[in-house]
Amino acid sequence: MSNFLFHKVSEKEKEQIKKQAKSIMNDFSKKLSKFDKQKIPESFIERPKSERQEGDISKEEFSKEIMFKNAPNKNNTLKGTSDYIIAEKKKW
Amino acid sequence: MVSTEKRLKQYLERIKKQDTLNGTGKKINSFLQLNPDAIKQAKAIDAKKKKGKLAGKIIAVKANINVKGMNISCASKVLENYNAPYDATVIKKIKEEDGLIIGITNQDEFACGSSGETSAFGPTQNPAALGKIPGGSSSGSAAAVAAEFCDMSLGSDTGCSIRVPGSFCGIIGVKPTYSSVSRYGLCDLSMSLDQIGPLARTVEEAALLLSVINGYDKRDAISQESKINLQKINQKPKQLTIGILDFPIKDKRIQDLIENKVNTIAKENNFKVKKIKIENIDLAVSIYYPLVYVEFFSATRKLDGRRYGKKIEDAAGPEVLRRILGGAEITKAEHKGRYYHQALKAKKLIEQELANAFKKVDCIISPVTPKLPHNIGDKISVQEMYEYDALTIPHNLYGNCALSIPIGKIDNIPVGMQIACDRFQDEKMLQIARLFE
Repeated sequence: MSNFLFHKVSEKEKEQIKKQAKSIMNDFSKKLSKFDKQKIPESFIERPKSERQEGDISKEEFSKEIMFKNAPNKNNTLKGTSDYIIAEKKKW
Repeated sequence: MVSTEKRLKQYLERIKKQDTLNGTGKKINSFLQLNPDAIKQAKAIDAKKKKGKLAGKIIAVKANINVKGMNISCASKVLENYNAPYDATVIKKIKEEDGLIIGITNQDEFACGSSGETSAFGPTQNPAALGKIPGGSSSGSAAAVAAEFCDMSLGSDTGCSIRVPGSFCGIIGVKPTYSSVSRYGLCDLSMSLDQIGPLARTVEEAALLLSVINGYDKRDAISQESKINLQKINQKPKQLTIGILDFPIKDKRIQDLIENKVNTIAKENNFKVKKIKIENIDLAVSIYYPLVYVEFFSATRKLDGRRYGKKIEDAAGPEVLRRILGGAEITKAEHKGRYYHQALKAKKLIEQELANAFKKVDCIISPVTPKLPHNIGDKISVQEMYEYDALTIPHNLYGNCALSIPIGKIDNIPVGMQIACDRFQDEKMLQIARLFE
């Protein structure tokens, strides 16, 4: 039992949440294992009309402004635009 | 026609008195940000000679739909500094029809929640039943409409998120057919289920907004053509077979309220009524959450702190973490096909059962939720929280349209009825809903 109000989660609580989530998923999995899977075809959706050709999308959708505007660390060119994100060093 | 500016100012005055932006939650707390250019934009709309379909309408937008220049935080500390660099397709369509965006509304963090409590900026109050949860995840969008802070709003619905808050706040909430409204610009929760839709105080207003936002969009890979004829919605259907869902509802008062209402309308209009059973509907929650956990885990991999704000694992609240950590766990264990793959197969089962049911009846009616809302901050189990979605999830799994409409009150709390129709029968669903207003 817990309330669902937002709070900062400690590392200890994260571990508890992980265990609880796994347990919930196992319960759901157990319930689903009861139906006869053989009767049901595989889920497969084909949408040929939705296939996009290369070059279909306009440049504005993949503009540098959209891609980089919200990145906390990025390079800045003389024009005031950005070309790449600066990732943290030695943390990978 | 009422001037947009005048109407906007009336709403802003109400918001000032009754809502507290990013506040303590003591007031409604439905808005996270107001549009700083709203008055200027309202004047520009009023000055136009030829106005669009939404001229004069003041619209609020859930904090997970991109509105250029606004803070689209998904009610999370992770994205608290994210400024939308573009308009979602639905926003572009609203602006083209002269709708005015008044502000960005509160929600459950990343749409993870059914109660409106998980926002990192405090829970939203239910204006129709103070102290009770407003329902989620589109909590602010529903509360803002119910509190008369705007004419209509946009929400998103993955399992219940428009219909449950619509129901608890006593307004109309429409989940359109999956793929009929573009999701380009929506921050995804579970991409195989997400759908944007309108909330409003009347069916007519909800239909108006839906008629603007729906239709094919090449930017959304699953998008399909769809149209709403507003004149048809006001025509009474001549013949109908109404299906009442055969499902055990814990609170018998809710079921009685709905059955009485359906029987009255059916009698008045000479419609047939029959009980309809969906064999495996009780599996819906068990199917839905593994799908959502995995898809949400996948969707949030981009929130690594490099492109947007903070790393999600460092700044999100407990419900978001439950879904991410749970999603990561079952993705790792998926080689046995025990979780996602199994849920996908079971989803197909529900799809088949609902498709068959819609061959026998024109619509399926049920309560929106099997129980009344709890008090904000009450301690409940995760399973109890997920139960709120038991009757709404099946329609996300099949991808058909469904809406919530208020039909009365119990203990002074609004009760919503769900009307669901087959895929791409949104027009018929709205036509039926008009009968119940």
